Amino acid sequence: MPIKKGLLIVVSLLSAGVFQSCEQHANKVTVKPDNQRIPVSVNDSMLLSIDRSPMDMSYFPEDYPKQKMMTPDLPNPVARVTYSRPQKNGRIIFADTSVTQNVIQHYGQEWRLGANEATEIEFFKPVSISGKKIAPGRYILYCIPYPDKWKIIFNTNLYSWGLHVDKTKDLAEIELPVIKNNVEIEFFTMFFQNATYGCDLVMAWGDMKAVMPVNFN
Amino acid sequence: MRYFLLTITVLCFSFSGLQAQTKLPAMDKSPMDMSYYPNRYPILKIQDQITEPLVARVIYSRPQKNGRVIFGELLEYGKVWRLGANEATEIEFFRDVKINDVKVKKGRYTLYGIPNENVWTIIINKETDTWGSFRYEEKNDLLRMDIPVQKQAEITEEFVMDFEKTETGAGLIIAWDTVKLNLPIVF
Repeated sequence: MPIKKGLLIVVSLLSAGVFQSCEQHANKVTVKPDNQRIPVSVNDSMLLSIDRSPMDMSYFPEDYPKQKMMTPDLPNPVARVTYSRPQKNGRIIFADTSVTQNVIQHYGQEWRLGANEATEIEFFKPVSISGKKIAPGRYILYCIPYPDKWKIIFNTNLYSWGLHVDKTKDLAEIELPVIKNNVEIEFFTMFFQNATYGCDLVMAWGDMKAVMPVNFN
Repeated sequence: MRYFLLTITVLCFSFSGLQAQTKLPAMDKSPMDMSYYPNRYPILKIQDQITEPLVARVIYSRPQKNGRVIFGELLEYGKVWRLGANEATEIEFFRDVKINDVKVKKGRYTLYGIPNENVWTIIINKETDTWGSFRYEEKNDLLRMDIPVQKQAEITEEFVMDFEKTETGAGLIIAWDTVKLNLPIVF
């Protein structure tokens, strides 16, 4: 039996490897350094080269678009977050105001939880966060970081750029403890994962991570 | 034997599932981007400089040319293409508009294109939140419109979409390699 089991594991590992490498092969476009890119010309202006902090999107259920591709009549997704991914690039992510060099953001100040456009979260059904009901729809998210906690704020000032927060449009907020990651994450990352009560929105950068529980009810 | 194969399959899937859970999303090779009409709407909004209401937004991913011949080689003529990479390209209208004389109600749609040498077909489809064009179904089309190709002397390295103001509303510019198209949106 152990031999058969061992064989099974080896075969599975190999097959998983094949799946993975197929996926990699399909995406084998390499990104050129910024200075080698030819800027795009639209309307005779030099516009729109690829952002230094590219945008990304995560759904719950995880990988919903890929699931939908394979499963007809999949029920609607629950949530989607659209955000941009700054790179740590050897900088200090958060520090107190005494640090002025090589720091991205000071503690206690609003941070757009990403880059460029304000980070957008959409719920396709009612959820509750920290006991507060959130109606289906779109919101923007921003963060006020502290050494031991992140305050995550839902705001209704949609389709805005992340550098200015209109606090009169705050809707709800939640404080999340900062968890230490054992790996260093170069690009700011947000994704959803399964939880018994619904899902978690995980936000991670550098050696920090915060997890926001989203209750489905 | 059948059970043996089944076990392997199940194991493979559970293994990749496990991997997917422990692995953080990597940086995409073809990063996502978004464009609004009016152009730069989010920046104008925080500067209190909005002069026209929000009309449209496109969310798409940006593959790069990387020395390849794109249309007619990498992408076969006559085949539905996802107009980008990764997740299917999403266009959202914040008010009702008209494209090719068809009323397009406020809401989210998926955009596809069928590239050809001289004329492309642009498709607005009602199935959203999907991946690529793998599950594209014509029965979910809202409309199609043929758009002539404007050949460009200058190469566009990164696939791009952006809106421009026109006399009848806005045009959605779609450009990659030596190809440029302009999809007229009337409002």
